Amino acid sequence: MERRNFFKILSATSAAVVGTACGTTSASNELIPLLVPEGQIVPGEEQWHPAVCGECAAGCGTLVRVMEGRRVIDTKDGPARERLAAVKKIEGNPMDLVSGGRLCARGQAVVQALYHPDRLRGPQKRSGDAGQFTTMSWEDAVTQASGAIGKAAATDPSSIVFLTGSLTGTRSVAIEKFLAAIKAPPPVVCALDAHPIERAAAERVFGWKGLPHYDLAKASYVLSVGADFLGGWTSPVYYARQFGEFRRGRTTMRGAFAHAESRLSLTAAAADRWLPIKPGTEPQLLQAVGALVIRKRGNANPLPAAVAEAFTKVDPAALLGMCGLKQQRVQEVVDALLEAPAPLIIGGASITHTNSVDAVVLSHWLNMLVGGVALVKETPVVLAPISSHRAGEALAKAKVLLIDGANPAYTLPGAAKALASIETIISFSPFLDDAAVWADWILPDHHYLESETVVAPAVAAGPSLTVSTSFVRPLYETRAVEQTLADLGAAMSLDYTRVTAREVAEPLATTELPYSEIARQGGVWQQALTKAKAAAPKPQPLGAALPAFDGDAGQFPLHFQAYLSIQFHDGRGANLPWMQELPDPASSAMWDLPVEIDPATAASMKIVNGDRVSIASQHGSLEASAYVHPGAVPSVLSMAIGQGHSHYTRYASGRGVNPLAILAPTFDATTGAVLTGATRVRLTRVGTGQLTQYSPKDTEHREHTER
Amino acid sequence: MSHRWGMAIDLDRCTGCEACVAACHAENNLPLSNPEEAAKGRAVHWIRVEHYYEGEFPDIKVKHRPVLCQHCDEAPCEPVCPVYATYQNPEGINVQVYNRCVGTFYCANNCPYTVRSFNFFPPEWPEPLQMAHNPDVAIRMGGVMEKCSFCIQRVKRAEGEGANPQPACVQGCPAEAMVFGDLNDPESKVAKLAKSGRATRLLEELGTKPKVFYLEKTS
Amino acid sequence: MATAPELLPYGQIREDLFRPLGGVSRRYVLTLVAAMSVVLLGAFAWFTQLRDGMGVTGLQRPVFWGFYIVNFVFWIGISHAGTLISAILRLTDAGWRKPITRAAEAITVFALMIGGLFPIIHLGRAWFFYWLVPYPNERLLWPNFRSPLLWDLMAIMTYVTGSVLYLYLPLIPDMAQLAEHATLWRRRVYSILSLGWTGSDREWHALERAMKLMAGMILGIAISVHTIVSWDFAMAIAPMWHSTIFGPYFVVGAIFSGLAALLIVMALIRSTMHLERYLTWHHFNNLAKLLLLMSLLWTYFTASENLTVWYGNEPDEMAVFGARTRGAFAPYFWAMVILNFCVPFVLLGVKKFRNITTSVIASVCVLAGMWLERYLITVPTLSFPRLTTATSFHYAPTWVELAITAATFAGMVMLYLIFAKLFPIIAVWEFKPHEEEE
Ligand SMILES: Nc1nc2c(c(=O)[nH]1)N[C@H]1C(S)=C(S)[C@@H](COP(=O)(O)OP(=O)(O)OC[C@H]3O[C@@H](n4cnc5c(=O)[nH]c(N)nc54)[C@H](O)[C@@H]3O)O[C@H]1N2
Ligand SMILES: Nc1nc2c(c(=O)[nH]1)N[C@H]1C(S)=C(S)[C@@H](COP(=O)(O)OP(=O)(O)OC[C@H]3O[C@@H](n4cnc5c(=O)[nH]c(N)nc54)[C@H](O)[C@@H]3O)O[C@H]1N2
Ligand code: SF4
Ligand code: SF4
Ligand code: SF4
Ligand code: SF4
Ligand code: SF4
Repeated sequence: MERRNFFKILSATSAAVVGTACGTTSASNELIPLLVPEGQIVPGEEQWHPAVCGECAAGCGTLVRVMEGRRVIDTKDGPARERLAAVKKIEGNPMDLVSGGRLCARGQAVVQALYHPDRLRGPQKRSGDAGQFTTMSWEDAVTQASGAIGKAAATDPSSIVFLTGSLTGTRSVAIEKFLAAIKAPPPVVCALDAHPIERAAAERVFGWKGLPHYDLAKASYVLSVGADFLGGWTSPVYYARQFGEFRRGRTTMRGAFAHAESRLSLTAAAADRWLPIKPGTEPQLLQAVGALVIRKRGNANPLPAAVAEAFTKVDPAALLGMCGLKQQRVQEVVDALLEAPAPLIIGGASITHTNSVDAVVLSHWLNMLVGGVALVKETPVVLAPISSHRAGEALAKAKVLLIDGANPAYTLPGAAKALASIETIISFSPFLDDAAVWADWILPDHHYLESETVVAPAVAAGPSLTVSTSFVRPLYETRAVEQTLADLGAAMSLDYTRVTAREVAEPLATTELPYSEIARQGGVWQQALTKAKAAAPKPQPLGAALPAFDGDAGQFPLHFQAYLSIQFHDGRGANLPWMQELPDPASSAMWDLPVEIDPATAASMKIVNGDRVSIASQHGSLEASAYVHPGAVPSVLSMAIGQGHSHYTRYASGRGVNPLAILAPTFDATTGAVLTGATRVRLTRVGTGQLTQYSPKDTEHREHTER
Repeated sequence: MSHRWGMAIDLDRCTGCEACVAACHAENNLPLSNPEEAAKGRAVHWIRVEHYYEGEFPDIKVKHRPVLCQHCDEAPCEPVCPVYATYQNPEGINVQVYNRCVGTFYCANNCPYTVRSFNFFPPEWPEPLQMAHNPDVAIRMGGVMEKCSFCIQRVKRAEGEGANPQPACVQGCPAEAMVFGDLNDPESKVAKLAKSGRATRLLEELGTKPKVFYLEKTS
Repeated sequence: MATAPELLPYGQIREDLFRPLGGVSRRYVLTLVAAMSVVLLGAFAWFTQLRDGMGVTGLQRPVFWGFYIVNFVFWIGISHAGTLISAILRLTDAGWRKPITRAAEAITVFALMIGGLFPIIHLGRAWFFYWLVPYPNERLLWPNFRSPLLWDLMAIMTYVTGSVLYLYLPLIPDMAQLAEHATLWRRRVYSILSLGWTGSDREWHALERAMKLMAGMILGIAISVHTIVSWDFAMAIAPMWHSTIFGPYFVVGAIFSGLAALLIVMALIRSTMHLERYLTWHHFNNLAKLLLLMSLLWTYFTASENLTVWYGNEPDEMAVFGARTRGAFAPYFWAMVILNFCVPFVLLGVKKFRNITTSVIASVCVLAGMWLERYLITVPTLSFPRLTTATSFHYAPTWVELAITAATFAGMVMLYLIFAKLFPIIAVWEFKPHEEEE
């Protein structure tokens, strides 16, 4: 930490933080004045403030560089130049055990959302058909919105639905308490990165509430099945750091790993051996590996009999045939697993299928079989995450819909139609996105760097909470959702007070580490795994269903997979120009995303790079550029999620197509998660076109150093 | 002896996640492109991640190689600039003097790594995006060449504080694949890595003596 | 055998050659206005580029050089016609050069003026072009003399001064004669410009010696200029640029395209100014044979450049070679070979076909072929950088580049029309019998 003497600087400003933090929360709608007073901003001087990245559930701790900034505001006598503290850069917080001082591409680009030209600057009221809004004052907005909620709460509280994002922290606690206060059903997570399938599997096998934490850095040989942990999975930065250690962090050995996925993801690319399985055959592969392990080792312990059956009563050759893998290759992986001093099986569902829960459950049992269970721990649950993920069903019965941190019109197949028929929609989105455009009232949220938040990281080695105190003054007439809910509560005279960060961080605050100290260093991260529950598996018979697909194979011969992209995640990053122009890791495309087609299928339909192609499922069709991906699995089309927003600021509106729009509106039976890989499609060539690529890779490979 | 800054990138750690590309944008006020300019090949990235595919499906091998200015000791881009707008400073960094460049493009034509970008139009940032500009880095005007500067502003600031400098990409890389340091100091990590068996240099046969060492995947 | 013009009485010669100066035909005005409008369009295009930025062109990463550099090399190439031909013929005292020298020298000066503009037009910040000039300044900022662009600047500056002088000196006697007959402003201009020439022996002797000296120097400068222009490419380590053949190759290309330009201009002035008796078939025949020789020489250099690359089979070089001969640029490459070799070889090689019209056709083809040759040297190499993933998208010129390219040709026509109105296009004094005193 010698790079910045941020303790010294921080101690100077923390006096201000402590001084006011424990003051009573002032009634004014201005946030708790923890702001960096302008006077303290010395031109040319930088200050680093701990914060948290809210771009995904991983909740990486960040350090934000604050310096003097200027902007032009219009006052009554014309535009004036205003001098205020401005966020200059966001980097990882070295003390946070999740980010370890590092951030992913989206984490670096967050500052563009804070200073985005198209941020909503105040409450909006729908004035005519969808998308036409007039501005209004906060007082009117709160009274009108609370009136609508109050009316519904009085008549039929169960018709109030709150769709929210995948983060657990002050926001989720505030929403849960608010809904409890109006006796409405608990909030529902509507996000593609909440990983309900991994949660359900861990609960079914180990009874855990938190996501499994895989200690990749200590493993010697890993087989990961379906978990694209270097791309978009439970904690991208954390597992990337672990991967770095796993590979070259130890002088004694270099970790090796095989990865099975139906797409050449970043994890598959980094693997020593990629097992390109047919879509949805993860359970069959896991069963085959288990069977080969037992056959080689001669016994199935420590698995209980009921479970061992799943691995013994199967024919590995047939199973691997279904997966489309050569037995010899899988045998090499099995041998390596058996020889490895510290083997580990990682199971996940980066691309979800009808049988994904079975797959992840099988991966846990296989992990026990090969002896990798010591490297898997539950992420201690400091704040209970929102349990329900059945956004599809909730939306069907909603009369009053509240949306925060979610964009159902984009991420939930079939939701766009449902939104049109819902009576009252209230959105807290800071941008006019696909869902907010249907709203009757928009009560825009602060950007999370402007408000005080606590986030419980989705994956962590020990009990952790990351805290961000607000240190820059809000730019516009926006309001933190925690505050707005308190105001709505007050207007409806509920006994509901504003949920504060201090209150939420209480569980981990101690006398020697009070909240003010936690806030000063940006969170509390305990390495010790004392509280983490050991793996106490509950035996039960294992299912290994074959994947079911929507659309008959004759009419729709190809598979279609929508996957979380590095630059847009589930589409929320599309409003950031830096992300729009970031060359896509798969196709190096900029300002649009192509559909990835394997060379054989492309050749059979005379499709070349950049051609326009149409992909049709039973539920819709889209036209996109074609990218002939040398590593794509034959007759399996993949497309990164992110483009195709109807409304989402100047950088994303009407650009490209949304792969989720043609997915079948069917959801995972156990958890309600969107099935991103379970839709069959038909591909037709439309004509020629141009795909903007920064450094196209499929040209002849003339790498010099290899020769 | 003065510093001689260099970088080592461990291709065994690099996952191709392009966080380094985003970090460089965030640190160095790179101009924003738009779909039309990007389609004309004018998006500006000071560092790009190249993806090479070897072999046929299913035994396909992927290699990601982050390519930035190599700050060559015998830089072909320097002698050809008619106005000394690009030269190697005493600490080995190939600097670009923006207000001295007249835009003859010759340096970019002679750089075998194609890491130089040009400001075809004066860059603009819609209000209030300019709030996020890094005050330590000059905003380039239209008509000048620009490229990776090894985050010279961070190097200067770190030297001022007596700390080890870390460019934005090195600091941001999640897999900790990039190491930056003084090649003249044998104790520095980068100097050691530069001597490792896995170390190779890009287009070394052209005699440019690049100062970015790539550590190949297998030992 | 004495050429036809010698036989004509001197008075007749003078009368024929001074006649075009007087009066302005409708066709003259129309062509001049047309040429000027295209030049203005080019100027407007350049203004837009200066105002909006280089983005209005089609240039991109990594193809940073395009039409402007091609035009630069093309027009500097054409400028070699005048000096080399008139210099060589003057040094070898070949009689048949007399009616050609001034026309050729005029091409040189105007082509240089046009070509010389491009190092400024192609700059990203053209308003700072003077930073390349080594003027002493308080901040002790000197340009970088190791850069081939600086050599360009030096070479072209010398060449411009040399060519202007080489054009101006032989004009003095004619202007002195014109001063006697002209009226009003023409008289005053000619008398000033003729530096008080009286036609005394001492003056003639001095002029002869000066012309001999200038011919020798201009020959050396011309060769050095195009070698240095070729070094803009040869000094760079880009594939298929970095080759030792570029120096002589460009000089041959320059003479080749210069000759073609001269042939076209001669044919035009012969028909428009009715100088059939001065520019006879004899002149055209000699020049056509010279053009054929240069075509063969050019083909030799092109063949050896491509053969060595193909035989060497280096991947980076072969990527560019493949693009030129088989890939995206193949149509231009084979068109160039046909235009520069096949057409001249057939039209000029077979004695039966060779006449003034066929030599003009051949010359037009050669000019087109040589423009393509410069395009094929510049753009393919930049489109295929060594690192395969940095390949380009597709460089195509925009209206700005096309307008400026068109303006260069229109500019040459405009300048030539003006020059032909102010001065006799054929040096009158060359035909003056020396012993007979006026
Ligand atoms: N706040 C504040 N303001 C100040 C001062 C201060 O201390 N504080 N100092 C003041 C003083 S003392 C001064 S001298 C001024 C300096 O103010 P300026 O003269 O503006 O100084 P610079 O911007 O460094 O450079 C001047 C310009 O020279 C151009 N240039 C670079 N090379 C060349 C070249 O070869 N030829 C030509 N013609 N131009 C070139 C650059 O593009 C640049 O735009 O600033 C004054 N302003
Ligand atoms: N790196 C770099 N170096 C430069 C320049 C540059 O642009 N960059 N610019 C050059 C130019 S153009 C100039 S003019 C020089 C200027 O360079 P200097 O003459 O050094 O000008 P300053 O650094 O602005 O101020 C000089 C000092 O005077 C002090 N001072 C301020 N007010 C008073 C006062 O009332 N009385 C006294 N006694 N001291 C006072 C200030 O605190 C400051 O420390 O720098 C030159 N050197
Ligand atoms: S993984 Fe990236 S987007 Fe998610 S919290 Fe960490 S830095 Fe932010
Ligand atoms: S950030 Fe690191 S791991 Fe990611 S592409 Fe760049 S160098 Fe590789
Ligand atoms: S990589 Fe290119 S720009 Fe950088 S020093 Fe080398 S030649 Fe110059
Ligand atoms: S573009 Fe600028 S830096 Fe490059 S050679 Fe020209 S003047 Fe020099
Ligand atoms: S060293 Fe700095 S300027 Fe160079 S690529 Fe990395 S972040 Fe960009």
